[in-house]
Formats: sequence, structure tokens, C-alpha cells
Amino acid sequence: MSSPQIEIQIIAALVAVSCAIPGVFLVLRKMALISDAISHSILPGIVLGFFITQDLNSPLLIILAAGTGIITVVLVERIQKTGLVKEDTAIGLVFPALFSVGVLLIAKNANDIHLDVDAVLLGELAFAPFDRFLLLGIDAGPKAAWIMGVILLITLSLLYLFFKELKVSTFDVGLSSALGFSPAILHYGLMSVSSVTVVGAFDAVGAILVVALMIAPAAAAYLLTADLKKMLWLSVFFGVFAAISGYWLAHWLDSSIAGSITTVLALVFLLVYFFAPKKGLLSVMYRQKQQRTEVSLLTFLLHLNNHQETQERHINHLREHINWQQVKANTVVGLALDNNLITITNEVISLTTKGLSFTQTALEYIITNKDDKIEHLKDDFFLFRG
Amino acid sequence: MTQKIAIQVDDLTVAYNYKPVLWDIDLVIPEGVLMAIVGPNGAGKSTLIKAILGIIEPIAGSVAIYGEPYKKQRKLVAYVPQKGSVDWDFPTTALDVVMMGTYGSLGWIKRPGQKQTKAALEALEKVDMLSFKSRQISQLSGGQQQRIFLARALVQNASIYFMDEPFQGVDASTEIAIINILKELRKAGKTVVVVHHDLQTVPEYFDWVTFLNVKKIATGAVKDIFNDNNLTKTYGINYKVAVNK
Repeated sequence: MSSPQIEIQIIAALVAVSCAIPGVFLVLRKMALISDAISHSILPGIVLGFFITQDLNSPLLIILAAGTGIITVVLVERIQKTGLVKEDTAIGLVFPALFSVGVLLIAKNANDIHLDVDAVLLGELAFAPFDRFLLLGIDAGPKAAWIMGVILLITLSLLYLFFKELKVSTFDVGLSSALGFSPAILHYGLMSVSSVTVVGAFDAVGAILVVALMIAPAAAAYLLTADLKKMLWLSVFFGVFAAISGYWLAHWLDSSIAGSITTVLALVFLLVYFFAPKKGLLSVMYRQKQQRTEVSLLTFLLHLNNHQETQERHINHLREHINWQQVKANTVVGLALDNNLITITNEVISLTTKGLSFTQTALEYIITNKDDKIEHLKDDFFLFRG
Repeated sequence: MTQKIAIQVDDLTVAYNYKPVLWDIDLVIPEGVLMAIVGPNGAGKSTLIKAILGIIEPIAGSVAIYGEPYKKQRKLVAYVPQKGSVDWDFPTTALDVVMMGTYGSLGWIKRPGQKQTKAALEALEKVDMLSFKSRQISQLSGGQQQRIFLARALVQNASIYFMDEPFQGVDASTEIAIINILKELRKAGKTVVVVHHDLQTVPEYFDWVTFLNVKKIATGAVKDIFNDNNLTKTYGINYKVAVNK
């Protein structure tokens, strides 16, 4: 690996981690769309900042552009608060308007400045190592790495200091406010961090792909864990994994790095979406199928419970009477047998003691809806987990 | 008998988009009562609690908790929002939600430690949910979620408890468990204010009641003012409940 290759991967990983952290909170707060809005509406801020500083990596430019991000959030909230339009409409109105101002500013001054819309939208990681950071005249590495490093350091410190406040205000705004942790301060704090991160990252990965780095890792992590800290770690892991493997995918395809990173992110999300152990699509479908079987099982057991006479409990009669197809009947009978809920003697089915008590507990649950009765059954059966 | 005043509300008016939802509310809640706030949908019951707690900014009026503004008295107050106001798919456990009750006494930045964990476990024990401490909150039933919320308020060890519809969507055994805990709180001299919907149970559960419908209709001891006259005034229809002995 050449040193620019390593540098590109370091920058990509730094961007990925910086995006993944605020991304987790945006996803949990159901504000994923706002990151899209911020990433576009920072354009006029970037252009104005560039007019003033003539340097795409100047801290002043980052602050100015992040300011436009905050203005976006405030405008969306103001418009929404009038009650005349809904939030998604407000977002859809605000960011194209601000973005278009940026486009006009660039077009009007296209001859004078070294900045075009493509660069803002798509970024170019491959060029990042060319822009060096000179510390006392010595080459200290690519500027982009320093900028993202500083942003990441700030993000991590804020996360460490205010983790509990962020958690409570994300989970329960009312409690957060009542306890004295102003939800507004935390909200705008998160928005500021998100805006600064987007501005810092757009140069490398572009304003569109930065959204993917914020949302996709968090969305995938959300499906895998029920613990906020683990969700943060997983998001960071997915982000870095996509950044590094995306780089090598681009290398192999000889194509855009940012595009490859996002492709990897999409694949990671799809894999998790289908195969996540508890919340994945396959797992959910399997569970629903199990639940259907178990409802059938319960119906079957209730029938046995209701009928003492032998002919009602004859195996052939049950097939006719409950009117299940043979396959399903076999599944249900098999399940009941496996769990020692029934015995079959001379093709007549009887409830065992266990089956009887199970049926009665289930009945009681259905009638009273009391959860404590069925706690011990939950491990064996999906039915009661709803 | 001169009782201390726990909560005093003066001329409180709250409006959403210039439409008043609470109008000129004066309310004095003595210390040590278990009070129901009753009224029809849209009467401003939740809004009243939120305004007292500063979650909603009133357009007029003031609130005093033991004679001081709420901001100075946060630590004396615990709040249980409506169960439906939060997303129960949030990635966290029952114990962690209860721990959130300790955040107020910690203040900004400081993290909960062993002392807080111990308090949270004790609160879980009180609501009979200790065995569920590590369970993800989306895996709890409605009644269990409400118990968790109650435990989170208990862990605050407050003097005043505000609860927004704690009996909404819970099973009968949880309802009884909750009301027993609330009665214990009253016995310990705490003040408990509950937004309540089931008029039938008011005389059985509460000793104090406030009738609310945008304006305050009446407030006082259940035995004195919980009658058809006030119910009719509040609900606007000729209301007869089976409360007349």
C-alpha cells in the first residue's frame, strides 16, 4: 500500500465514525430526513464561506456552512409549527430553496472560483491526500484527515460528556424537560454536531453520500441490538468496515470511492435487514409462521379440553372437524406430541397433565390478559410474546 | 387543620396557536393528597401537568411548588408521562429506563454509579418487576411498561408525583398494584396528582379531585365535591355515575 492509499482509508474511516455517531441519534429520533436536508442546504454556506476564505478547508467555512445547517432545522421547525404544512413537506420546501441559492451563487461566479456543484454533491476522496496540512512548515498529513480528526474528537467528547442527557431526551422528551435537561439545547447541540460533520465530510464523500454514512450504519445496528451503547459501537464498526472495504472495491473496480463505500453500506444494510437474528425479515416471517402454528395448536388443545367423548378425540375426526389440511394437522399434532402435551392411544388423542395445565393457563391468559401467568411459557412459545 | 400547600397555580393560561387549552386556572393542592384530575378529552388535563412542570410554556400565570418556582424545586418532583408518549422500541432495558429517574439528582454530565443502580433495583422490586430488569423494553407488556415508568418515578424519591394516565391500557392486576403504591406514597406524606379517566374508580382511589374542562370547574375533597352537579358541569351532559351511595 502506498502512503496516499493509507491516507485515503484513514480519512474515509474518520468520516465514517464521525457520521455514524450522530447518525444513531438521528435514526432513534426519527430525524433521518433532516440529515438529508442539512447536507444539501449547507451549499450556500459553503459558497459564501469560500468567497470569504478562498479555502475549502478553512474552519471559518465549516462554521459558516454549519450555521446554514442550523438555519435549515430552524426554518423547517418554524414552517411546521404554523400547522399549515407537515414536517416532511417543510423539509422538502426548505432544503431545495437553500440549495438553489448555493447553485445560483456558484453559477454566477463560476469563472472566479474553484468550486463546482459536482464537487459539492459527490466529493472526491481520491484527491484528498493532495491537500496537505503544513505544521510549522513540515508536512503533517492531509488536511482532510486533520479536519475530520478534530470533528471526531469533538463529537466523541460531547458523546462521552452528554451520553446520559442525549439518551433520556431521545427516549423521553417530557421527562428530560422535567428533570431539567433542556430538550431544545440537546436537540440543537445534536443538529450542530450533525451540521459540522456534514460540512467536514462533504469535501471527501460529497453531500449526498454523507447521508448514507449517517443513516445506513445506524439503521443496520438498530436491527441487531437492544442496547444503545452496542448500537453506537455497531454503527461505528459498520461505518469503518464500509469505508475500508469500499475503498478496495473502488480500487478493484477502478471507480468512485464514495460510490463504492455507499454500495457496501447498502449491502451491509440489506444483509442485516434480511438476516438479523431477531428483527430481520426472515426471522420475523419465521416467527409469524410459528405463531400461526401455535394458534392452531391452541385451538386444537382447546377442542380436546372441551370434549371428553372418545369419538370427538379420534384422530380422523379431528382432521375433519377442525378442517385443517393434513399437513398442518400433522404439524400441530407433532408439536403437541413433542412438548408432551398429548398422548395418542388407539388413534384417540388425550391431553396429558401438562397439556391440561398448559391449556388452562393459556385460557386464563386469553380471558384475563394477565402476563405473569405465562412468563414461564414465553421461552417455549412464540404466541405469547406479542 | 392547616395543611401545607404543595402546589399553587395562579391564573395559568396555556394556548396552542392562540387557542386557549387552559384558561385562567387557579389551583391549590394541599400536601399529602392523592388527587385525580378529571375532565373530557381535550380538557387540558395533560397540559396542566406539563405547564406545571415547565414542559409547556404558559402564556400567563405562575406555578409554585412549596412556594418556589418549579425550576428551583425540580428535585422535589417526579413525573410519569403518558406511556404512549415514548417509543418503546428504543434500544434499552427496563433497568436502564428506571435509572433515568436518577439523572435529575445527578445533574448534567455526572454519570450514574452503584448508588443509583441500587436505588433503581429497589424501585423495580417495589413494582414487582425485578426479574425483568434486563429485558428489552419493547418485550414488556403494556402493564409492565407502566410499572417501569412508576419505578422510574419512585427512584426519584420526590415529594410530589405527577402521573399522566397511569392506568391507560394496563391490566387489572397492574392497576391495583399501581394504586396501592400511590396510596402508600400518600401515607408517607407525599402528594400525588394523577390524570384519570375512569370516573367510577375516583371515590375508591382518590381523596382529592379537580374537575377540569379548559377552565377549572371545581377542586376539593372527593367526599365534598365529587357529585353529579360537578360532573355535569365538567362533561356538559347530564352525567349520572354510580357514585351516590
